[in-house]
Amino acid sequence: MPAAIEFQNVTKTYGRRFRRETVAALSCVSFEAGAGEVCAFLGPNGAGKTTSIGLLMGFHFADSGQIRVLGCAPGDVRAKAQIGFLPENFAFYKFLTGPKLLRMNLALAGGRSTASPDLIPELLAKVRLQGYEHLRIGKYSRGMVQRLGIAQALLSDPQLLILDEPTSGLDPAGRKDILDLLAALKAEGKTVFLSSHILPEVEQICDRVVILDHGRLVRSGRLREMIASDRIRIVANGITPELEQTARERGAAVEHGPNGVRILVDPASVREMAEALWSNGCSVVSINPVESSLEEVFLRLVDRRKEQA
Amino acid sequence: MRIWTIARVTLAGFLRNRVLILFTAVFVFILLSELTDLLAMRSAARHVSAGDISPVMGEIGEILDLVGAFGCALAAWSAADTVASEMKSGTILAVMARPVERWEFLLGKYLGVQLLTAIYVVFGFGFIHLLGWIGGQQIHTTPWVLIVYPLCRYAIYSSIAIFFVTFAHQIVAFGGAVLIAILASLLKPGDNSLAFVPAAVRNVAYVLLPSTALLSEDRFLTITKASLAKITWDMHAFAVAYGLNYAMIFFLLAVWSFRRRGLSRE
Repeated sequence: MPAAIEFQNVTKTYGRRFRRETVAALSCVSFEAGAGEVCAFLGPNGAGKTTSIGLLMGFHFADSGQIRVLGCAPGDVRAKAQIGFLPENFAFYKFLTGPKLLRMNLALAGGRSTASPDLIPELLAKVRLQGYEHLRIGKYSRGMVQRLGIAQALLSDPQLLILDEPTSGLDPAGRKDILDLLAALKAEGKTVFLSSHILPEVEQICDRVVILDHGRLVRSGRLREMIASDRIRIVANGITPELEQTARERGAAVEHGPNGVRILVDPASVREMAEALWSNGCSVVSINPVESSLEEVFLRLVDRRKEQA
Repeated sequence: MRIWTIARVTLAGFLRNRVLILFTAVFVFILLSELTDLLAMRSAARHVSAGDISPVMGEIGEILDLVGAFGCALAAWSAADTVASEMKSGTILAVMARPVERWEFLLGKYLGVQLLTAIYVVFGFGFIHLLGWIGGQQIHTTPWVLIVYPLCRYAIYSSIAIFFVTFAHQIVAFGGAVLIAILASLLKPGDNSLAFVPAAVRNVAYVLLPSTALLSEDRFLTITKASLAKITWDMHAFAVAYGLNYAMIFFLLAVWSFRRRGLSRE
């Protein structure tokens, strides 16, 4: 599957005017998102997600490394013609109405002459903004602005959707509508690259996950692999408190359950832990891979980085 | 089509811009105050003699200078504000996410400013005739020069401001353009305001700064005599070409400076 988005060793620093100090926003970040995939772009606040999206769209320029979007350099109008984009906290011309803003965007996309006259009413209906055609955007609620942002991102039937916090500001029903919409786009074969903090929702639709923290890539890969092989659960009986303490010191999570003590370890340290249990006379009941939620994987990876730092 | 769309939205934004509306309201208030003086003088002059008409004409000249100065300020402020406010609010991201080149965005913004100054120039054109009528004079000139010359002047100051705003704050950009306008007016031949500056420096500055005297309607419109000074077509063509060339240089500098500018919300 060809990559819709490619980041190769991308570094970006921001300098302060009249000062020599610089802030590293991204350090040697590399990842890919395949065509037709839904790729979740995750990270805590200040991780470098919005900077990365800015680089993808050509709003900023990387200090080093290479970025390709739909086979073109960022900012190339050939790529932008196939991208639907929703920035974080989208801002519109407040004096326009929703349909006027969409018509303006259609003209900017060069599709005004070829577009169906029903396109704009259909899009407004899709994001549940019908009935507000005469209301100026300045009077819209936060959720309505977000819905309009999604409508304008879908305007020119894009191959790639880049969405920065698409469900931000929406109520639960609105978030569900957007997730259903993204699932429908995925079924149509569109590539979706979205950043979000609401991980349980993202997990429902994404194929691939890229996690950043403090400008560095923490992990990237397919969601199934990430949540399946992430931890191994060892259930054992006859564990002494000293052995429990040793397991915790080695980074394992220890819980007491009805069938014995459950020890969660990384795949890399499962052999070492099992041998320690056997050599101390414990009986190992089972060793199984544990499927974690995306949120658990994310929190573990980010917490581990914090500890390392 | 894309450039024209940006220009139209820019103009629509200007017509709702609170700072510009306030700016214009203050200007209209000043004009009306000046007009009150003019009407009083004209009324008095009618009952005295034809020789007393000169103070009326002096007042008209002052008002015209005010209209020209406000036009420069309007062009510089609107050019600086339209780019800066897009960056500040983040609306630029929605526009630049479309298949729009950076130079197309700037050109659209620039044309939007020119549409605004065109409205102002048409207003100024009507106002000159109104003043002439109040002053009891008829203005004998071809209309196009009263429209094209000020447009050229405003195009210069808006291009300077749009260049400055690609790397500086909008207040600095506006201030820089106004400062250049003031310096240019002080450096015109025959004005000794800057006599203390060495001649070599003045000469260089005269070449570098926009020559507003060259693009002034005063060169051919002698309102006090209500006559048209003779200027040949080729002289008009050179003056207009000078103005457009000067504006284009600064616009191209703006495009060059804007090509690597980060576009995040400020």
